Amino acid sequence: MAKPIDVPVEMNHDPLEPPESYFVPATDVYETADELTLVAEMPGIQPAGLAVTVEDNVLVIRGRPVAEAETDGEVLLEEFTAGEFYRAFQLPADYDTERIEANLRQGVLTLTLPKSERLKPRRIEVKVD
Amino acid sequence: MAIVPWRGRTLPVATLTSLREEMNDLLSRFWSHTSEPFGLAEWSPALDVSETDDAVLVHAEIPGIDPKKLDIAVVGDTLTIRGEKTDEAEQKGRNYHRVERRYGSFTRSVRLPAVVEAESVTAKAHAGVLEIRLPKKEEAKARRIEIKAD
Repeated sequence: MAKPIDVPVEMNHDPLEPPESYFVPATDVYETADELTLVAEMPGIQPAGLAVTVEDNVLVIRGRPVAEAETDGEVLLEEFTAGEFYRAFQLPADYDTERIEANLRQGVLTLTLPKSERLKPRRIEVKVD
Repeated sequence: MAIVPWRGRTLPVATLTSLREEMNDLLSRFWSHTSEPFGLAEWSPALDVSETDDAVLVHAEIPGIDPKKLDIAVVGDTLTIRGEKTDEAEQKGRNYHRVERRYGSFTRSVRLPAVVEAESVTAKAHAGVLEIRLPKKEEAKARRIEIKAD
């Protein structure tokens, strides 16, 4: 019997197009005076399998496990499986998407987007003669 | 007119009683499915357990948890993982739009399918996934018996 051919997602694939099946990472989103931060849980994902793209203010996070987990032996309990993560966020136009910082640590992705200069709270000095 | 068997004066009371019992039953069944309904339960890591001929493998999803702060113990045939998931970063001045990650301390125990060598248990964590390898004791290992044929 012929085996289905596994096509790497990165090839011939629109990054904005979600994969056929995927996990939605639990994500915290918060804002401070200077930046917007997204914290997404993607256990099992390493930097080599991670892709973060922004197109037309749509932020897309994708992660693929680089190596399949060792699954030899008899499975007795299965509460999670290795698989692809995907999530897209529509961003307001107020962030500098050129300066996104991404940090992946212990399976948690942290993205920081600085606010555009014009949106930062600004203190106006009053000149006194 | 149809002839209905007469059940005496107790009929309305009996109906109400049984209705109440039914409602109680329905409610207790509704709440009994989960100990903490509507996702109020504290977070605990998802586990995968598999067994090979000579070891038991346990994988746990621990995104954002420092593996050094985990407490892993084997007592008898029970493996227990204890830890806490915290948000350590500075909280001040944050305006949250979305809170989906869950935090808190947890304890998870699993009954192991075989007797293991507690001294030789190894654990490693990578990219938010913990792997615990518990080698089986000699007597618990699968043994192939050869059949002698003349």
